[in-house]
Amino acid sequence: MTAIGAVPAVKRRRRGFRLPIPVALACLVMAVVTACAIFGSALALKDPYEQRLDVAVSSPSAEFPAGTDTLGRDILSRVIYGASNALIGPLVIAAGAFAMATVLGLLAGYLGGWVDTIIMRWVDFMFGLPSTLITIVVVGVVGGGYWTAVFVLLVLFVAPDTRIVRSAVLEQRPRTYIDAARTLGISRTRIIFIHILPNILPIVLAYVAIDFAFALVNLAGLSFLGLGVEPGTPDWGRMLSENRNLIASNPPGILLPAAMIILTAVSMNLIGDWVFERFTK
Amino acid sequence: MSLIYSSGNLLRVEDMSLFHDAPTGRRTLTVATSLQLERGGSLAIVGESGSGKSLTAKAIAGLLPPGVRLSGSIRLEGEELTGLAERDWQRIRGRRISMLLQDPFTMMNPVMRCGAHIEEMLRDQPEFRSRSARRAEVARRLAEVGINDASVADRLPFQLSGGMCQRVALAAALARDPEILIADEPSTALDVTTQAEIMRLLNRAQAERGMALILITHDLRLAFSACERVCVFYAGQMIEVGAAPALAAAPFHPYTTGLLLSEPPASRRVSTLVAIPGRVPPADAVENECPFSDRCRWVVDAKCRTTRPPLVERTPARFTACVRQPEIQGELDALRTAALEAANEPEPVTPENGALVHVAGLCKSFGGKRPMHALKGVSLSVGRGECLGLVGESGSGKTTLGRCLVGLETPTSGQIVIEGIPSADFEALARNERARVRQTIQMIFQDPYATLNPKHSVGRALEESLRMSQRTGRTQDHVRTLLSEVGLTEAYAGRYPSELSGGERQRVAIARSLAVDPAVLVCDEPVSALDVSVQAQVLNLFKSLMASRELSLLFITHDLAVVRQIADRICVIYLGEIVEEGPCQQVLNDPQHPYTRRLISAIPAPAH
Repeated sequence: MTAIGAVPAVKRRRRGFRLPIPVALACLVMAVVTACAIFGSALALKDPYEQRLDVAVSSPSAEFPAGTDTLGRDILSRVIYGASNALIGPLVIAAGAFAMATVLGLLAGYLGGWVDTIIMRWVDFMFGLPSTLITIVVVGVVGGGYWTAVFVLLVLFVAPDTRIVRSAVLEQRPRTYIDAARTLGISRTRIIFIHILPNILPIVLAYVAIDFAFALVNLAGLSFLGLGVEPGTPDWGRMLSENRNLIASNPPGILLPAAMIILTAVSMNLIGDWVFERFTK
Repeated sequence: MSLIYSSGNLLRVEDMSLFHDAPTGRRTLTVATSLQLERGGSLAIVGESGSGKSLTAKAIAGLLPPGVRLSGSIRLEGEELTGLAERDWQRIRGRRISMLLQDPFTMMNPVMRCGAHIEEMLRDQPEFRSRSARRAEVARRLAEVGINDASVADRLPFQLSGGMCQRVALAAALARDPEILIADEPSTALDVTTQAEIMRLLNRAQAERGMALILITHDLRLAFSACERVCVFYAGQMIEVGAAPALAAAPFHPYTTGLLLSEPPASRRVSTLVAIPGRVPPADAVENECPFSDRCRWVVDAKCRTTRPPLVERTPARFTACVRQPEIQGELDALRTAALEAANEPEPVTPENGALVHVAGLCKSFGGKRPMHALKGVSLSVGRGECLGLVGESGSGKTTLGRCLVGLETPTSGQIVIEGIPSADFEALARNERARVRQTIQMIFQDPYATLNPKHSVGRALEESLRMSQRTGRTQDHVRTLLSEVGLTEAYAGRYPSELSGGERQRVAIARSLAVDPAVLVCDEPVSALDVSVQAQVLNLFKSLMASRELSLLFITHDLAVVRQIADRICVIYLGEIVEEGPCQQVLNDPQHPYTRRLISAIPAPAH
């Protein structure tokens, strides 16, 4: 019996932590949006609610870098303030939905049997619902503003996410290391959360990012329709609908919030893809 | 470097090196390969995993994966093949150079009927324009590979056995009458008995057609029996080339010698197998030195580690890359002689102290309406300190039996008694009884790459299974003891499975099972996925563990040479039934059942 520790180990190839350029740009966008969300009051030069009818609908100038809207509010400041709505809601939806979906998916995928049946039939039921319609109806009828919309979207997002997690679990389940853990007598709870979960985490993280993007677009869509946020709130979706008629007189008034929605959503998608690729290889 | 054996070579590979271009830099995969193949000749390229043998074959067929670059030259009758456009390759592949791959199921398109695979190759030849002509030709081609049942042409690949599929794949590869056939491990994925048939077929086709054959294999014995010339690869370098009989009689390179010695002899049992210590280095780490120097006992730094030793012709048509060959040849030969003369280890006498594991009338069926009977009433017992070999081919039910024993499958009927506890139905056991059974019987799985959780470090895996046992004392000390027991240093505790070689992973898996201090290990093909040199290390480890821990083994394998080295008693299992049982040597030397005889006759002729 020869000890083989003497042979130098082959080092795991640590690929340099170099970010591809699109991902680096996406991170930059997200950093700016996050900074605006946290330090909005310090970054914005003006009060986003202050109405100055004397300068209503003015084009970009030194005082108003992106011009003003019909009520004379500073567009740039409103966009900066809007970042917090654009970040927090989608974050709560994506993280909350996936936390629930991860637990449900792990249980359904690993335990199988009647647990799987109950969870997956519920998922099928949720898939059967026209989700956009439900959101509009619930938020419109119940009212309650931004957080009602966030809550309804969160619930609607759980079902598809559960399906994703479950299929990732089903892929891990037949692997020998699970059999080995079972043979050792390791409890089911440990197998599910200590053995399987770390192996499916890259997929979960990637989908959290993609969910974030979807949630952002959904929330913006609702506020565009006048649901969710209160009128007058600095919110990107809301600004889109309020400033629709500025398209000719002060284009930045509508283009800036629109660009921010698109940039943020695309950036999160890029980051999610990159996280998935990096941690699954 | 000149490697000219005869003029008018069909294929000449000269100074070919392969690189992988990654964003992090260029990595060497193989260095300076030079090969010659004459019309009708046969060449075996032998090497362990990571030696670059398969890549070399792919380079010759123009099938390099993306990112791999080639330097040097490959000439087919004077025509340079490197840098050829894909359109030109289509003119060469299939017609002039054809390839047969390892796994027939992945090589064939699962939705195409078997006959269509062959027809595909005939379609563009004018004499096979008509459908009936093609069908007749398909039948003729199938008959050539020993398939006389015409209905096979209309079946889908999954409806056939592995051996049948490989025959169809061979017929398809031969359909355009290529001048060179490259066979990449053509028999490795098959059962022992079918392996021999495929190799016979391959050699016959080669002889009848005057076709040249390149056989890629990890099995020296197979290479010697099937090819005229053998070329040994190690860590991306050619280290020895020679005629098969001469190489078999007296290898010139310490690695080849080691490889030959570490193959368990099929005809006798030796007390300790000769293992090559250590593991195969990656090709780019040993680019400028003798690749074997880290594992070689004759290494002299000044000679072996300064430059890459070139292949040198020592005796006519015998090439070796070992710079010290003339000095050490005597010692190499002596080693071989010593191994050949090593006494046949006497049959160990198993003490009769009752059965630890007792199985009676075990049946297991899968599926509902049309059940598949994996086990049809199997009875066996494993005594304390005994190694019972369970020998069978794929589909025999041997793995199902092992999984039933450790509670991963619940048998349909029959009894399993483990240390007095009836444990056929694991779920029905009381909690403490189940824990006791778990601590009595543990399992080692076949695939070392899947047996460890990729996200857990070695130390974490061991700590977790230590928690399942009732040990006292510091976990850290136990981890260290366990690692040293399987021949690993403490430093391994911090590593992740992806940093370990197959052999090391299997050692960790063994340590993990030993953590609960079991009395019986069910080993399901524990060495079949490992390279030969590492296989011997792990087999020796099992032997020493049996002695030091009074461990019982149920050793499940298809490999008779392996089972002879380790088992005291063997059971031969065929289609879910045990057909022969008895002391190991007795069964292997004097088989009674026709199936056992067939298994034994399928072993390739010994290389020693």
